[in-house]
Amino acid sequence: MTGKDILKITLNLVVIYVIGGVILAAVYAKTSPIMYKNAVLEKERALKRLMPDADSIEKIGDWTIHEKHAEYFIAKNGGAVTGYIIQSFGKGYSSYIDTLIAVDKDFRVQKISILGHAETPGLGDEIETDGFRKQFAGKDADHLRVLKTDTKEYIQAISGATISSRAVTEDAVKSGVDFLIKTLKEKGPDHGTDGRS
Amino acid sequence: MAQTGAVDYLGLIKNGIFKENTIFKLALSLCPSIAVTNNLRNGVLMGVAVLFVQVMVNITISVMRNFIHPRIRLPIFMLVISGWVTVTDMSMAAFAPEAYKQMGLYIQLIVAFASILARAEMFASKNKIVPSMFDGVGMGLGFLSALTIISFFREILGKGSLWGFPVIHAKPLLIMVLPAGGFFAVGILMGFFNWIGMRNNKGH
Repeated sequence: MTGKDILKITLNLVVIYVIGGVILAAVYAKTSPIMYKNAVLEKERALKRLMPDADSIEKIGDWTIHEKHAEYFIAKNGGAVTGYIIQSFGKGYSSYIDTLIAVDKDFRVQKISILGHAETPGLGDEIETDGFRKQFAGKDADHLRVLKTDTKEYIQAISGATISSRAVTEDAVKSGVDFLIKTLKEKGPDHGTDGRS
Repeated sequence: MAQTGAVDYLGLIKNGIFKENTIFKLALSLCPSIAVTNNLRNGVLMGVAVLFVQVMVNITISVMRNFIHPRIRLPIFMLVISGWVTVTDMSMAAFAPEAYKQMGLYIQLIVAFASILARAEMFASKNKIVPSMFDGVGMGLGFLSALTIISFFREILGKGSLWGFPVIHAKPLLIMVLPAGGFFAVGILMGFFNWIGMRNNKGH
């Protein structure tokens, strides 16, 4: 290897890596605000889908689970409280599963929605299917348990994805509902909005 | 491979699909062929993502082929591949969020695919832009069709459905959607296509 080679290699690497860096930075600068807006929109849409009857959904506080920041909301219809929505995370097989849970006034689960995860495609990602999520309708905190057998009373695990099923049910949803019950009983249902408005 | 005179476009594409099929003949990128093929939708989406990145990487490498010093070609190939994957990932997340929701899990995996690096090294760095593009199309289509075939059999046998829609109302072989089934499917199909290849060769 001669000095000329070294010079050429250096020049090669510098030029290509600088061009690559500039392109990546430009694309990132252009796309990141749109990505952020998409995520906010997506969350708003998910909230509406979870509480279709409510005419207002307001954030009432923040909490943390698995060292992740999450929010919770109150849903009202014509001034009367119809329920709450809480964001929660469950530790799955290969990711933290980002979940939204809608509960009614008595803290029975109405619907859940999976916002994001990186579970195994084809197995763990079945937590997104209607068939799995519909099982949560009407369950109270005591019935949020995963069974591997046929069940109507509890939640039935997805075959081949018990870990992901448990993460959603016994980690994300259960912790979220328990947290809501504890917090709202302590502080009253409207504590967040009262303080702000 | 056609290198002089008129370029045999069809030949380049056919080469990627049949003679040098990434999975069944070259046995490259076997990891995704097992990891993401337990249902048809995953297999096809992964194949489409690879097709796009393969073509773009081949074109880029071919454009730069006379500028790259041979000693440092691999780090440069890696930069080009990861650059294209990242650009694709970010642009899709921003401009096609619906499609991204379906494919986002796969795109980032492409960085580590041996098949893309192998084509950059074996073909694009030695050939002109247009043949490199067609080589990318052929290789990408080969990968796409291999993944489609594997995932077709795995989903219908393991889940009794296709593209998520139930076809036969039973789950004949649950093992096919589990990782072990991936090895069975790839192994049996690879054997089958090689058997066909050998039979055809005897006929000549």
